Amino acid sequence: MTGLHDAPVPSRREFLALSGGALGLSSLGLGAAWAQNKVELDPAAITNTDHATDVLVIGGGMAGLFAAVKAHDAGASTMMISKGRLGSSGLTPFAKGFFVYDPKTETESIDAFVDTVSRSALGTNNPVYTRQLAEHSLDRAAELKDWGFFDQNLANRSFMKPVTDRDIPLIERVVVTHLIKEDGRIAGAAGFRLDGEETVTIRAKTVILCTGAGGFKPSGFPVCDLTHDGSIMAYQIGAKITGKEWNDGHSGRSVNPADCYNGWGDMFDRVPSTSGVEVHHDLGVDLNYQAYMKGNPVAGGPQVATDDPVAGGPVTPEEFVRSFPAREGGPRDEAGGGPGGPPPGGRPGGPPADGEGGAPGGPPMRGYAMGGASAGMAIHKSEGLVPIDDRCASNIPGLYAAGDALGSHMAGGIYTQIGSSLAGSAVQGAIAGEAAAEFAAGIKAPSIPDTKLAEVKEEILAPLKREAGYGPAWVTQTLQGVMIPNFVLYIKKEPMMRAALAYIEELRDHHMPMLRAANMHELRLVFETRNMILSAEMKLRASLMRTESRCSHYRLDYPEMDTENWQAWINIFKDAEGRMQLVKQPFAAWPRQT
Amino acid sequence: MTINSINGCIGCEECVKSCPCDVIRLDKETGKAVILYPADCQICHLCRMYCPVDAIEIRPEKSIPVVVSWG
Amino acid sequence: MKLSAKTVAIVIGCAVFIGLPLLFYGLGDVPRRSLLKEVLSVLTLLAFSLMLGQFYLARSNEVVLELFKPPEIQKVHKFIAYGAVIIILLHPALIVLPRFFEAGIKPWDAFVTMVTTFDSAGVLLGLVGWALLLVVLLTSMFRMRLIKRFGIKYRTWRYVHGGLTVTFVVIGIWHSIDLGRHTDVAMAIYMITLAAIGTLMLGQLYWADMSKTVKKPLPKGEKS
Repeated sequence: MTGLHDAPVPSRREFLALSGGALGLSSLGLGAAWAQNKVELDPAAITNTDHATDVLVIGGGMAGLFAAVKAHDAGASTMMISKGRLGSSGLTPFAKGFFVYDPKTETESIDAFVDTVSRSALGTNNPVYTRQLAEHSLDRAAELKDWGFFDQNLANRSFMKPVTDRDIPLIERVVVTHLIKEDGRIAGAAGFRLDGEETVTIRAKTVILCTGAGGFKPSGFPVCDLTHDGSIMAYQIGAKITGKEWNDGHSGRSVNPADCYNGWGDMFDRVPSTSGVEVHHDLGVDLNYQAYMKGNPVAGGPQVATDDPVAGGPVTPEEFVRSFPAREGGPRDEAGGGPGGPPPGGRPGGPPADGEGGAPGGPPMRGYAMGGASAGMAIHKSEGLVPIDDRCASNIPGLYAAGDALGSHMAGGIYTQIGSSLAGSAVQGAIAGEAAAEFAAGIKAPSIPDTKLAEVKEEILAPLKREAGYGPAWVTQTLQGVMIPNFVLYIKKEPMMRAALAYIEELRDHHMPMLRAANMHELRLVFETRNMILSAEMKLRASLMRTESRCSHYRLDYPEMDTENWQAWINIFKDAEGRMQLVKQPFAAWPRQT
Repeated sequence: MTINSINGCIGCEECVKSCPCDVIRLDKETGKAVILYPADCQICHLCRMYCPVDAIEIRPEKSIPVVVSWG
Repeated sequence: MKLSAKTVAIVIGCAVFIGLPLLFYGLGDVPRRSLLKEVLSVLTLLAFSLMLGQFYLARSNEVVLELFKPPEIQKVHKFIAYGAVIIILLHPALIVLPRFFEAGIKPWDAFVTMVTTFDSAGVLLGLVGWALLLVVLLTSMFRMRLIKRFGIKYRTWRYVHGGLTVTFVVIGIWHSIDLGRHTDVAMAIYMITLAAIGTLMLGQLYWADMSKTVKKPLPKGEKS
């Protein structure tokens, strides 16, 4: 690594967090107090602010924006809360393609479009959500256009417009860590401020999770602030989670793999634009297979498809196989870019193997492909809360999800329609907003006992009160080392996943309860680390359970698609004893409600 | 080394707010932005693009070792 | 070639007011940006250093007065003044100008954020300095009319001009130390030194003027 000579000298804590895993700590001669938690603030002095609203929207991306606007317009008192800034956190800032089904210009009917997606997705998509995307995308695009979204590459100002016009309260830089359930339905949420010594509680009749998906803070994809926060909070209170076995297969560059901005060419600089029907079957993980079988390095781009590829591996259905003419340097400019949406949504050429892959975005340096850029993330819209209807409701009354937090399987377990992720977030956000407002209108405000709130606050602040513990950055790095290798996360096989699961269970049982935080930033890292550990467990268990290969899920020990046993999604939930349970849910069926 | 330097900061806090990963904070004493948690920088350049006075420089190297799928 | 005293003075002037700031700019460890941005930076720096040079292109600088004729000095003073003042007045806009050509916040949004960041002492100083400089510019352009309109002496106008510019420079340097991308320690010492010497020279002139006035009033009709 170059450039370290200019690096600020890391504090002793940071240094330990970085090197503790690799070096024997005793060899550093730093004595016994290394794990001591030198808290920079007084946890006892942390206050709480309490809010109340009909509809609470958690998350400030594309889905959150529409959820809040539509819930407000439907007459509900609405409040937004976000870990980052509106339009400048999660994947929304980096998604440049917005799919629009415009009946005036499309030659194909919506029915035909849905069928095409379903064929490409090999049945893994939920056609109800695929159809919804096509039906509403044009209206959402029109609203975004009014707000100025298509006028510049940064989304904050255009997103602020409808929010300030409507006077919707917006609290930014609050990390929500807990959903609160009372009397069998959602009652609110709680978290803490990054900038103040303050916890925040919000009593709400309904909550819409627009918290995005997440990853393992990987290198090469701007998803490091997303750690499946919404899914994990919801899982903790009994929501069902799906889609964890699918894999986003983006790769990055071998030179400075973490440099997302340059790795994506001019993508982050682009002004968003709309695109029409174009259905692919963009795998990405086929490059992982080539790398696994042939060794490294793997050149990115079209060569993979043409230069003596190893037989086998993830399969693209005949109808959707694309050929790539040789081309010079620059990115193939498909307005709206690759499939999927946020990054893929706008990314020219889509996931790695289909062109830009090796060096997403192509110029300025192509170089060799480096896998795992988006490690820990599934296909957009495939993982998240299980919807129980076509209006983004979860199995917990009053709890909704939209966008990447909802396991709608809108595109399926593979990237199909390009630019559909960003559009899908807008469409689902609007639908969830209206549904939540309607639900809130018919019920009384929940009451949360003070003891419950005190208990939640105690849980939130616990890592600040630990005298010693594990640094969240170190635990995260350990998790990355276990999960990100190609032979664990992408080219799956039972013994290796069992081994990884043993590691993850150790982190879950022994490290998670002992994570320490010295300040609010580290407290955020603690909860993100917790969420990544549970998400890793879900990914491994779902991948073990799915004994077939289909779309972006590839099992070396089960390389064929199994249409007899696996016309089904996998739903994950916590049982009464707190154990993780997995059940099949047949494709094209809503989950049974108990 | 990820986000590298801030020169000519006017303390408007745009970068602090627009950083998805909470890397930058405003120093209460000087009223200027400081790179407090560089290890968490995802090199997305949003801070630089939101900065009204173009004060931020970013380098392509991550400040901590990175974990990738193969190498 | 035999150097005349005039040439030497011009070379020294250029070295001090153009060469030195360029040197400090070059030695500074601020990361370089695009050509346009660097050109704008250098232009602004030179505008400010040349403006400091104005203290030395005035009646207070006896060396220059001996070498050059007053109209010559006045001409250069005016020429630099209008050029430099316009660049300094425009520099808030020049800061956001490159955003026209690259991704990121729009230039006008950037400008509004910048000039409304009232929490920042540097921005407030900049706003006050900008207004002062505008006053300096307008009063200089219309000095004859002002003198006529308010019936003040030319010398009084000169005091006003000197006072305004000294105040401006103090505020400007302070602003630059707080916010200037290229104002490191060397650049700050350079600016403070030039401003201090210039102000002292001016003070000396005024002091001398005032003592003369008190001791031996000028005969009626004599121009200063």
